Amino acid sequence: MFASFLPTLEKDTRSDAFMPLDHPALVLNKKARETFGLGDPMVIAIINRGPQGVFNPHTLQLVDWLTQQLENIDNIDPEGITSLATENNIIGSEEGMEVEAFFPTLPQTAADAAAVRSAAMAFPLYVGTLVAEDGSGTLIIAEQLNANRAQATYEALMTLAGSAELTADESIHIAGEGALTGYFGAYIDADASRIMPLSALLIIALCYLAFGTLRGTLIPSFVVLATASSAIGLMAALDVSFFIITNALPVVLIGIAVADSIHILTEYYETSAKHPAYTSRELAVTTMSRIWRPITLTSLTTMAGFFGLSIATIMPPMKYFGLFAMFGVGVAWLYSMFIVPALLSRLKPQLSRAYRRQPAPSDASRQTPCATANGEARDNFAKAVCWLGAVTLRRPRWFLLAGLLTIAAGIHGGLKIEMDESLIKAFQRDEAIVIASEAINQAFDGTNFLDVMVTSENPEDLFKPQNLRKIEALQAHMALHPLVKGSTSVVDYLKQMNRAMHADAPESYRLPDSVELSAQYFLIYSISADPGDFDAIIDYDYRLANVRINLEQENYKTIAAVIEYLDDYLQQSFNGPQINAQPTGRANINYQWMQRLGDGHLLGLAVTLGLVFLMATLSFRSSTAGLFCLVPIITTICAVYAYMGYTGMPLSVSSSMFAAIAIGLGVDFSIHTVERLQILIGCDDEVSDDTLMALFPSTGRALLFNFLTLASGFGILVLSKVVILQEFGTCVALSITMSFLASMILLPAMAKVFRPRFLGYPPRGYTPSVL
Amino acid sequence: MKYPRLLSCWVGILSTPFFALTGLAQEPLSNAQATLPTGGQVAAHINSRDEGEAVSRKLSIVMRDKRGKTRKRETMSYRKYYAGEKRTVIFYLAPKNIRDTAFLTYDYNTPEREDDQWLYLPALRKVRRISAADRGDYFLGTDMTYEDIKLETRVSTADFNFKTVGNCDVDGHPGLHIEGTPKTQAIARELGYSKSLSCVDRQIWMVRQSQFWDIKGALLKTVTIANIDQIQGIWTQQNINVENHKTGHSTSLSFAEVDYQSPVPDTMFTTNAIKRGL
Repeated sequence: MFASFLPTLEKDTRSDAFMPLDHPALVLNKKARETFGLGDPMVIAIINRGPQGVFNPHTLQLVDWLTQQLENIDNIDPEGITSLATENNIIGSEEGMEVEAFFPTLPQTAADAAAVRSAAMAFPLYVGTLVAEDGSGTLIIAEQLNANRAQATYEALMTLAGSAELTADESIHIAGEGALTGYFGAYIDADASRIMPLSALLIIALCYLAFGTLRGTLIPSFVVLATASSAIGLMAALDVSFFIITNALPVVLIGIAVADSIHILTEYYETSAKHPAYTSRELAVTTMSRIWRPITLTSLTTMAGFFGLSIATIMPPMKYFGLFAMFGVGVAWLYSMFIVPALLSRLKPQLSRAYRRQPAPSDASRQTPCATANGEARDNFAKAVCWLGAVTLRRPRWFLLAGLLTIAAGIHGGLKIEMDESLIKAFQRDEAIVIASEAINQAFDGTNFLDVMVTSENPEDLFKPQNLRKIEALQAHMALHPLVKGSTSVVDYLKQMNRAMHADAPESYRLPDSVELSAQYFLIYSISADPGDFDAIIDYDYRLANVRINLEQENYKTIAAVIEYLDDYLQQSFNGPQINAQPTGRANINYQWMQRLGDGHLLGLAVTLGLVFLMATLSFRSSTAGLFCLVPIITTICAVYAYMGYTGMPLSVSSSMFAAIAIGLGVDFSIHTVERLQILIGCDDEVSDDTLMALFPSTGRALLFNFLTLASGFGILVLSKVVILQEFGTCVALSITMSFLASMILLPAMAKVFRPRFLGYPPRGYTPSVL
Repeated sequence: MKYPRLLSCWVGILSTPFFALTGLAQEPLSNAQATLPTGGQVAAHINSRDEGEAVSRKLSIVMRDKRGKTRKRETMSYRKYYAGEKRTVIFYLAPKNIRDTAFLTYDYNTPEREDDQWLYLPALRKVRRISAADRGDYFLGTDMTYEDIKLETRVSTADFNFKTVGNCDVDGHPGLHIEGTPKTQAIARELGYSKSLSCVDRQIWMVRQSQFWDIKGALLKTVTIANIDQIQGIWTQQNINVENHKTGHSTSLSFAEVDYQSPVPDTMFTTNAIKRGL
């Protein structure tokens, strides 16, 4: 039913989504946007590799044409376009200052173009920002009206660029924050729709391999479909957007739904092999009477885990992830408990090749189920698991040591993990947007901006020389940072005007030394040009200013380094009662929420693990049981940390989700194992290795398929074009593999070594040690 | 009952000579159009109105951006017509930071000759000559172009063809709707207008409201003129409000202490005078 809402689902790939609406950084950003008309700009670079660079009539006409066409593109702010065709030059004349367009009429001759070149190159503010230092390129920066429509806008720009007539030397590149977010959504969608069907097919194929029957294949698929579509449908029904990390939600739900079905069907086929005379109804009832408990327990603990995730985070997308995953697990449980048995009781009893002539688990210990002599009774999968069990039980302490080493490696490797996130790195290196960004970053000061909003006390206070000098010093200080490529502010314009008023004398490229002079420069500018030219750098009553810092990279590490450097300076040397400044813009938002991602990651992990422990403890009525269940999960997480730490994979949005998934899926492996061990040990008066071995051909085999379907289903993501999906796939596949191995190895080994009473072992002293 | 009335209405329309000629359904007003003065006549009326040879007045300018932030300017201005040219000087009184700044303009009637402009910057204590702006450029950050300012209450028959399109009414003042179309595409581009529509008070021949469309045909500005009174026998506009629909910016001009009679000396319109100040 909820699936019917799917078409209304709204995508929200913006990073703003990761912060509560009332977060100060978002509030400030909104103010900066409104005051200075800044959004996530589209940056269009026109590059000419010829000897004259872009300063030839054809290329300049192209700039003019593109600028005009941009005004007609939906969602581009016609007032927010900056290019050589829109900007004015401020130059000195014999008697004063002149402000005129770089080319009032279209350049027709090489001499016209050369004049534009010398004009642009003499305006320090524009060198590196609007024109490349070597003249090889020029930029058109276009602000969007609504950043949520970046995808369509980017596509319209690509079409426009495609329709331009270019000479052999000319090329057009489109990048910038707007293009990046715009393309990102489309890129992930396209890739996911390529990979997801493959992954679904693989999961179905593995289900067939596990049971060799049609129902064994269709029932898991049906539960998967119902679970994933109802959870995501509910999101749509409740108007919750589809965030970037929501991509991981179907993954988790598919995993859990498949797991539930595989366990039910394993039990079903085991029962039907044991009791060939049972009717459909008896078969379904017997199956469910055995399986309801582990299914319910795994569902409850998993739900507890996701609940923990949702309460531990303040990032809305994570919160929703936790809540809807919890809902989905509930749906999977309902389907597994009611719909699947209803289906099975309507279908004729059936045998699976895999489970023919299998002895009942309670007989297992006496009939040495894993003996190689008895091999014909099992398929190769069961044999493989049995072998694993035999090896484990022969050297349990070694394996426990290996587990401890994994945890140690996880802690050691985990300390090496650095947080980073980069949209551009999500794309393959040959994508147009990557090439565009590289071309632009090479020729210009970069398309990545960090905005700093300067606030003074009263209107016109920004004309005060002491305030202007502070901004000048701030820019000079920022320029010292190796990752900063330059900055622009009202200071640069005032210097230019001052120089123009002093007959373009180079030594006059400095700030005016009185409030009145600055004010009068703006007045004189308004005589010959639109004072709206300054809208993006100073507000209408000259109280707020924007300093735009150009950054070399857009990744988190860069912006974090620059923002921290900036913050130090602002605290120590800038902020005071007269004037203060704060970082804002997209870069700051990314910094703020990524920081939370890092801080929140460990907290979320702790809360989630705590709740899983609590739920497992309650379920088995033993805190030792709770600890037992946690061991495979912790080992898994540590293994992934170790992997990330040693391979240098950064903690990013996508990779940080692995922990939630590892817990969500991993706890199932633990609980199924613990639950079965409890039954096996409880039924046996004399617990031996054989008692424990009975775990492997039944539950072990089911878990093996559970592991195989998930690991391969998500491992296939490594084939993705999107780098972050590759990383995500790797982490999830690794998590599932580790969960399986840890449950299959560590839990029986711990049972054998520690002989906990909750599993049914008699109190120590009564029984001679097995070892 | 409804049907026959509707029918008689149609019969009435069909029987009008205009409909018979053009085959187009028009409101009954078009019938009266034949008797309205032509656009050219209206423009001639407007331009022959007495504006006074010289005037001195206080002008306060309030500019407001789309976020509602304002810039206020208080000025004292003088204007005098000479044969073939118009001289204007504006002295800024407030705000403090630009006080004593003064702006002097000679507008020449001959289109070949570029207007002369000078600015006195008290902070530099220097008079600077300013190159003439384009006619379509905005004047000192307001929503009026240099051309708008130059024309004051007049209309340019050199640039526009005017056509009377009907009657109109502004605040109970009956008027004529005059549509202006630039004579050439080049003029349209230079002025930034593709069309204007003004409601001209037919008693005093002053524009009471105008709308302007940009060269792409989108509504650009609405100009509303209020408080037109006779001062010293001359009809004088005291409030002009311009709203820019494209930028959300607006400008209000208010004139006070309007005086057509006190002599305005010629020495007022010199660079020395703007340097000396008021």
